[in-house]
Amino acid sequence: MAEERFDRATAPSTRLRSARRIRHVLGAACGAVIALLLVEVLVSVAMRYLFGSALFGADEAALWLFQLLVALGCPLAVEGALAMRFDFVTERLPPAGRRLAALVADAFVLAAAATLLGGGALAARAIGGLSPALGLPEWLRPALMAAGGATTLLLLVLERSAAGRLPRLLASALMVAGMAGLAFGLGPSAGLAPSLAAGLLALLGLLAGAPLPHLLLASAAFADGFGGALPPPALVATTLSGVAKFLLLAVPFFLLVGSLLSDSGAAGALVRFAAALVGHRRGGLAQTTLLTSVLFSGASGSSIANAAFGARTFAPQLAARGYAPAEAAAIVAATSTLDNVIPPSIAFLLLAAATDLPIGRLLALGFVAGGVMAAMLAVAIALRAREGDRQPRADAGERRAAFLGALPAFGLGAIVVAGIRFGIVTVTEAAALAAGYTLLLALGGRIGWRALGEAFTEAGTGAAAIGLLIGASAPFAFLLAVDDAAGAAGALASSFGDGAWQVLLAANLVLLVAGLVLDIGVAILLLGPILVPVVAAAGIDPVHFGVLLVVNLMTHGLMPPIGILIYVVAAVTKLPPAALFRAVLPYLGALLVALLILSVGALLVAA
Amino acid sequence: RPARAATRLTVASLLGRDKPETLIWRHVAEKVEAALPGAFAFNIVPNAALGAEREVAEGLRLGSIQASLLTVASLSAWAPDTQILDLPFLFRDPAHLKRVVSGDLGTVIKARLAAERFAVPAFVNYGARNLIAKAPMLRPEAVRGHRIRVLQSPVHAALWQAFGAYPTAIPIPETYNALQNGVVDMMDFTKSAYAGFRLYEVVPVTTETRHIWASGVAAFSAPFWDGLEAEKRAALAAAVTEGATYFDDLVETDAAAAMRKAQEAGGSLVQPEDLGEWQRIGRSVWPAFAGAVGGLDRIEAIAAA
Ligand code: NA
Ligand code: NA
Repeated sequence: MAEERFDRATAPSTRLRSARRIRHVLGAACGAVIALLLVEVLVSVAMRYLFGSALFGADEAALWLFQLLVALGCPLAVEGALAMRFDFVTERLPPAGRRLAALVADAFVLAAAATLLGGGALAARAIGGLSPALGLPEWLRPALMAAGGATTLLLLVLERSAAGRLPRLLASALMVAGMAGLAFGLGPSAGLAPSLAAGLLALLGLLAGAPLPHLLLASAAFADGFGGALPPPALVATTLSGVAKFLLLAVPFFLLVGSLLSDSGAAGALVRFAAALVGHRRGGLAQTTLLTSVLFSGASGSSIANAAFGARTFAPQLAARGYAPAEAAAIVAATSTLDNVIPPSIAFLLLAAATDLPIGRLLALGFVAGGVMAAMLAVAIALRAREGDRQPRADAGERRAAFLGALPAFGLGAIVVAGIRFGIVTVTEAAALAAGYTLLLALGGRIGWRALGEAFTEAGTGAAAIGLLIGASAPFAFLLAVDDAAGAAGALASSFGDGAWQVLLAANLVLLVAGLVLDIGVAILLLGPILVPVVAAAGIDPVHFGVLLVVNLMTHGLMPPIGILIYVVAAVTKLPPAALFRAVLPYLGALLVALLILSVGALLVAA
Repeated sequence: RPARAATRLTVASLLGRDKPETLIWRHVAEKVEAALPGAFAFNIVPNAALGAEREVAEGLRLGSIQASLLTVASLSAWAPDTQILDLPFLFRDPAHLKRVVSGDLGTVIKARLAAERFAVPAFVNYGARNLIAKAPMLRPEAVRGHRIRVLQSPVHAALWQAFGAYPTAIPIPETYNALQNGVVDMMDFTKSAYAGFRLYEVVPVTTETRHIWASGVAAFSAPFWDGLEAEKRAALAAAVTEGATYFDDLVETDAAAAMRKAQEAGGSLVQPEDLGEWQRIGRSVWPAFAGAVGGLDRIEAIAAA
């Protein structure tokens, strides 16, 4: 009798333990990959400067490691903050509605995992070829994604059955079959553009609170039924190529800098110094957060890294000074938009590559635009400052001590700025050097092995989730490109008239709407080449418009549904994204005012 | 003849709407429309919106893209013997290259690519690659000890190693910054791509070494190509063959315009000295690739053709 009860009680918890073990192993593997990536990039920098020789194939090896990272982290991105679930609607539903939404959400995860598994396996058979520098067989990459899909399915089954929800998972599986039947049965005669069908399906998944990367993958897969040009093997290959972007390699390193800085105590020292300078003002720490974000932006090219750093470093401190946690997180998210406007900037690199605009002028104007945005944010922060966010004015001795304490953290900025600006390393290498330097700081601060492991695991799983999201938006971008969504956007930009202000207004509106459904990088690559010539023909300096385009799209980091900066900050602070989307509204307003000022400025210069 | 549904094909171009890489497909579409009205519906997607070259090549194999121009460098991952067209100082001029790809070697390469699921009706010539740097690189010794940005291709890496330089494969979006900052000191490129990426702003001096003629192919997805009715396939093949000549002419015009643009912005073009020594060092990498491309005899025969 007792034994029987024992059996029944352990059966589910065994499954739960297996699931936990799998998660643990995958997380540790992600951390190990980041460590390897760091060593690899640092060694290639050292080879170049100590021995004068380049490590040929180093960049290819780094890209392979990043794709391995995404495949390993893919199953972890289903649950928790990394899932980037849009919870705005589901949290308002009655219990029955929530249960149904959960079924639909799981259906999207199942469909995405099945697509990765099936499409990855087919692509592994068909892709052929060897990698150019290392001569590795290319089939390994889709095979890794297939393994990622299989592990996602396994984890989902283990965890749902441990929670006694296997029957509901079966209902979700039936839903997938039904949706596939509808898409592939009625799709061809529906006369719906594949990208539009994918968009509508994605909207459904979004409202149901499905994880963002999985709903993008699943929707693109179903859209194949509507005459879509992207069969599953090509979908997986497109996802992989979305992940394999050299510039993305900076992301895990800057995430690592963020975790290790906090662990080493250097971040605390930086905050103390900033507080000693401006802490006595109204909203002192919030203004410090802004100032630090500006400084960080001058060193980093990734708003996502900036958001992760700020969320770890400042959000808890702001909350401790009386800000509501969501407001603190919103300030961090809003200030991190600056990173892609103040050079160096990944966004400007992408835009220059896609449009032939001169990068030098883009970057110079980025400083101006970043200044206007920072000023508007400073006003918004001052207006909303908490009384408690103010401290006694520091005297000269305290400031000096705080300055000396913060020197190691300044060293970090010096490495990155000097590295990139004065011609020693690429952006990715600068990020790796920053991570290596912070690792030394953390080791000097006697960080424990456990905390060190956790920092690598956290950076690894975070970077994997971000990489998966960027990869998952690539099939979507492909469908939009095939349906010439960009051409339609160009026609729209001329729809209010051919005058300078009409075209600029229309182009801004097109960007504001397109940014709702497109990843920022994807939107730049897709819309930049279309809109820049249209706006230039209306008499506006194309470089001015290029800067406006980036500023405009960066505000989408704060807007639902895709608002990546909100999801990153939510992931770090463990707050619900919906609360952050609400709290960020005043700061979003400030950035839109900055966009208006910059647009008027561009018109005045053109006139 | 009964009305048939038009065969839809998605065509990828890496560059803008007004570049030869895109214009060739508009030309092909017009030619087949004149020959077989309503037979094909071309969807030409420019600006690398469907991915970079490698991804486009994968798309042809996996069924998401039906046609594109592809460089020989990108195809060597599947068919290493195509690298023969990328060997340094092998071809004297465009006519020499055209003669060779129209002959037996062209037939061999087409068959090789067909086995790798790329149907190739015609070869194209993107123009000569030249050495570009902040200063003139007149003699081979000038290259020694410098870091050079190269394509991710073994031939290109071996070539610059032979000159005593350090090849570094940097992706094109990072190349401008890397050159500006001195992460690398120089690179090689065709004239029109050099101007297209505004690289004259950071590396203003082109030394006209013409060390490699960048060859490519007009490629179709083999399952798509093989599935066409004979009449349609013949019309398409004829249009693409004519389009390739049209492309080669456009590239020459574009290169001249590109160099004018570069020179207006302060760029300059210089001629290398002691070309014989450049050729001797460049050709020293031939034996290392002879095994992969069908033997040194074949290389020598092409050089003499
Ligand atoms: Na920030
Ligand atoms: Na920045």
